[in-house]
Amino acid sequence: MNNLSRRNFLGMVGAAGGSSAIYKTSLAMGLLADTGPKAMLDLQQPGSEKKSVAILGAGIAGLTIAYELERAGYDCTIIEASHRIGGRNLTIRHGDIIDEMGQPQVCNFDDDPDLYFNAGPARLPGHHKRVLHYCKAFNIPLQIKANVNRAAYIHETDHFGGKPIRVAEYIADARGFMSELLSKAVDKNAFDQPLSEEDQVRMREFAKIYGDLDENGHYKGTSRAGYASGGFLEHGELKQPIEFSALLDSNFWAGGLSRTENFDWGEPLMEAVGGMDNIVKGFVRNIKSPITVNAQVQSIQLGNDGVDVYYNHKGERKKLHADFCFNSIPSHLMKGIPNNFSKDYNDGLVALGPGNFFKLGLQMKERFWEREGIYGGITSTNQRIRQIWYPSHGIQHQKGVVLGAYTFWGQSNFFERLTPQERIRYAGECGDKIHKGYSDYIEAGVSVPWGRMNHMMGCGSRMAPENEEKYFELIRQPEGKHYMVGDQVSFHSSWQEGAFASAEYALLDMDKRVRAASAVEGKG
Amino acid sequence: MRHLTLTLIATVLVAVTIPQWVFADEAPAIPPDDLVYCTVCHGVQMRGNQNVFAPRLSGMAGWYVELQLNAFKNGWRGVHEKDLAGMEMRPMAAALSDAQIATAAQFVSATRSPLPEQTLDGDASAGKKNYSSCAVCHGANGEGNVALHAPALRGLNDWYLLTQLRNYRDGIRGSDPADNYGVQMRATVQILEDDQAMQDVVRYITTLHSD
Repeated sequence: MNNLSRRNFLGMVGAAGGSSAIYKTSLAMGLLADTGPKAMLDLQQPGSEKKSVAILGAGIAGLTIAYELERAGYDCTIIEASHRIGGRNLTIRHGDIIDEMGQPQVCNFDDDPDLYFNAGPARLPGHHKRVLHYCKAFNIPLQIKANVNRAAYIHETDHFGGKPIRVAEYIADARGFMSELLSKAVDKNAFDQPLSEEDQVRMREFAKIYGDLDENGHYKGTSRAGYASGGFLEHGELKQPIEFSALLDSNFWAGGLSRTENFDWGEPLMEAVGGMDNIVKGFVRNIKSPITVNAQVQSIQLGNDGVDVYYNHKGERKKLHADFCFNSIPSHLMKGIPNNFSKDYNDGLVALGPGNFFKLGLQMKERFWEREGIYGGITSTNQRIRQIWYPSHGIQHQKGVVLGAYTFWGQSNFFERLTPQERIRYAGECGDKIHKGYSDYIEAGVSVPWGRMNHMMGCGSRMAPENEEKYFELIRQPEGKHYMVGDQVSFHSSWQEGAFASAEYALLDMDKRVRAASAVEGKG
Repeated sequence: MRHLTLTLIATVLVAVTIPQWVFADEAPAIPPDDLVYCTVCHGVQMRGNQNVFAPRLSGMAGWYVELQLNAFKNGWRGVHEKDLAGMEMRPMAAALSDAQIATAAQFVSATRSPLPEQTLDGDASAGKKNYSSCAVCHGANGEGNVALHAPALRGLNDWYLLTQLRNYRDGIRGSDPADNYGVQMRATVQILEDDQAMQDVVRYITTLHSD
């Protein structure tokens, strides 16, 4: 103990107080510059040798792993196949390149910090605690993002005369009619187990409030739908309720109506002020590990003493050896990359299939939707564009960027096969059916078909239910010292929180192994 | 400089025997930066990735790569509404300049990878009988014949061969009158009377796989 080295001393501190204690003590001893925010996870780097980590992919999972492991004292190297850091966390601004396979675009939005488009993740619910933790740690300002707006529209080409109606109107009328039915059922006490008189009274009252029924339990329209006229200097005149059969005929109830019922989409949501990629920038500010872009993995070979990763960079073949490897390469591309994984593990990777979300952003020369009383939120349509999102930021500025399409599967395939210009024109024509003169307001546009984005060729990967039981746990577990990570290895794919959760899971698993090995080493 | 490196590597490759299994740390061909795209879907060394319907193209003759990239570019391939994989390919080919196509051909022909795994069943001996007609152009060992513009068939994925035979049969490929060789192939494929005959002949072709 007389010759207590600084490393040994730190080891003791770590054993007593975990990595944050090491970190704080190191700071006090002047061994470590203050590197800013602290780690979220209590990882530790026991053992005498500094351990190395290869991180494949500089998306949310890879960046999280680098950030956490750096703080625990690991030596991290990140290699990224594409030209940029961030993965699918992509905010597009003036001059940005959109690297779509065969159809690269350059964003021609005005050079204005308010005119941006979140082509990947765009919404943060309050229960996604990991992403919110990092936003707080990195001082990333957040703002409320309206996901639902009752003043926005429901539009179906084959219902309601093809005219858009306000979300408020549909919801109020649907609830009114359903409540009237409920009220009538109470009157007849038409339940398997008859209600007590007291319950009947309460139930009738519930229905009345829920649907805004009159004294007799009938729905005759409600101010909740917005007034047909008046409301301020004259008494408001109620709108005529939509025919119940017309509400049923429409398909809005099958999708859009329950949008807010989805826990991840429940109001209020948040977004990063100035663009979702501020989260990526926060990581980059706080990571010292080298990140090499345009570095494409050629081979992953598991060995006894770690993992060898071969990659091409600037026309040369490079080799990276590491004690551990964290891999967020899209699983559907892994079959094209030589490896010595077990057959089962490779089969599991194949079972994880990609989705193909498509988003399109349009710079509008005027915020015409605000003249219609719409500030943020989403309009739903049965046209191929499916959705129009109005920006929650830049309220009452001159210009704004709307999301002009957000589609899945077949609708995405349709847009993928158009040129970027054709996509904008098509989305404009769809918009014209909802907002008068919509196309004329379009000044610029970008489109991001995730199924065609270079080095990704997909997004929102998931397994078919029949494969999930067989393979999900298999690929979540390490193969040797190699971990698959990313939102693809979570039950929340296509959400950043899925990537954070997957990174956390893999890190904690690795930490457990390192600690166990270190304990053995210590005894020896 | 990059192109020079590529040419050098390609030249060296001709001289050495390529092992059947290419080891991880060997780099038979490194794509120039603007052609890294090819290997995103077709995989490292163009080894193929059935997951994204991208066939193995390793070592494919440069002249045929060029011909088919132009076929995509000209809209002879990848325009039919049922040709989903072809439609995935077409925008990429359409974006390539003539010079890039030439470089791509050079790159692809220099790639090496393990032979494809068998994924389909079929009766190879039944297939062999029909293959005698194929052999007239494609060669007895599926080695191809540049004079007849008939590509090598060995080394291609069985699932890809079957897809293309069906595409010819169904007019998804070989329907554009400007696509001379495609039109010829489309006429010829009619000798395979049904899907089973196609699978059998594909099964036979996979027995020809060798380096």
